[in-house]
Amino acid sequence: MSSVVNKIWYRFKEYIVLIFLLVISLILLSLSNKPPVKKVKTFAFSGFTILTSAFSKIISPFENSIENSRLREVNARLMLEVNKLRQDGVQNQELKKMLGLKDSSSFPLIAAQVIAKYVSTSQGNLVINVGNNEKVKYGMPVINDRGLVGIIVNNTQDFSVVRTLQNSEQKLAVMDQRSRYNGVLEWNGANLIIKNIPKSYDMEVGDKIVTSNFSTKFPPSIPVGIISGGTTDKTGLLNNIIVKPFVDFARIENVFVIGFIPSTIKNNLELNLYHQK
Amino acid sequence: MYSLYVKAIIIFIPLAVLQLTIIPFLAYHQIAPDLILILLVYFTLMMGQLHGTILGFIFGFLFDIFSGGIIGSAMFSKTLSGFIAGYFYNENKMEVNLKSFMLLFIIFVTGTVDAIVYSFFSTADIQTNLLIIFFEQGVLPGLYSAFIASPLIIFYPRKMLS
Repeated sequence: MSSVVNKIWYRFKEYIVLIFLLVISLILLSLSNKPPVKKVKTFAFSGFTILTSAFSKIISPFENSIENSRLREVNARLMLEVNKLRQDGVQNQELKKMLGLKDSSSFPLIAAQVIAKYVSTSQGNLVINVGNNEKVKYGMPVINDRGLVGIIVNNTQDFSVVRTLQNSEQKLAVMDQRSRYNGVLEWNGANLIIKNIPKSYDMEVGDKIVTSNFSTKFPPSIPVGIISGGTTDKTGLLNNIIVKPFVDFARIENVFVIGFIPSTIKNNLELNLYHQK
Repeated sequence: MYSLYVKAIIIFIPLAVLQLTIIPFLAYHQIAPDLILILLVYFTLMMGQLHGTILGFIFGFLFDIFSGGIIGSAMFSKTLSGFIAGYFYNENKMEVNLKSFMLLFIIFVTGTVDAIVYSFFSTADIQTNLLIIFFEQGVLPGLYSAFIASPLIIFYPRKMLS
């Protein structure tokens, strides 16, 4: 028995050792973030950095370390300042565009800044820094310079929650701006979809989608997105239209709340019609 | 044989310091030569495949803890590199391997494998094309290491061979 083991070892020792060491490496790799491994790592790392920092000093004998550290600090401060100015520049451009939109809008606009985002596949929400104090109310639409963002679903004195278009609970009456066909837009977790559109409807890729005149929640003709494609349902009679939103929800920073309150009279009329059926 | 291990580890320490201090200055777009790998290949060609594999494991472990990287990543890649370099070990051709362009070729091959495996554990980006990963994170560092090792074939340490 031992001679067989010896034979195998003699013949395959390189491979056995290789596999054994690779397995140990993989085990350590998986334990890399465990406290004991971290401790060893920190200890060895801190010890070795003394060596490397000493060597770094040797390789730069002409370096005036005090002056350098001061300059590095100044550099860091300037870098932060430049970054802030750059950010302000971008924000300025965005706000200018928004002001352009404000001029063309017939509703009062309340400027707001996004202070938190909750982006998930089905529950896209934003928190903005305006609330009851700025006369923001439940149900008011939220836009930015590109188009429709969502709707206010909750608010406190100073903050409001916006349910974005990328929220599966959000349903929205929309219209093809070119062909004037209407539909209901919703989020399916991956795309904005206008479901169950008859194949005979003239809706093409590239058509602009805006809010519909039938909507009681939103003023008409707010840009929503553009048709980017479509699929046919199982029956082969209906299309599901995919809409690419104009708003980049990942990078959104500044928004406007439209001082538009959903028409209760219109709602009641529609409800009456519905009950008469 | 054990004295060679000790020698290798003693040489490893200053090389690791150089690797972490000087080499970053020589890096171009994250492509840098690997001094530890050069040392590993050199000793593997003198010690054989089995010892090269073990030495690769030791070097990798030490480098992981010294560099503050993910423990196990350099261990894995260096163990594999030592094993691959060991295929070129030949007791009768040791001098030829160590003082000819063959050394650079071995460093290039093992360096390429080492860089690919290491980058897989530390900076794997599945969005990037595999061919680009192979070239940018494998072949180029391998070539760079071979280039940096080229003085070895001119000024090879005779004492170590004897």
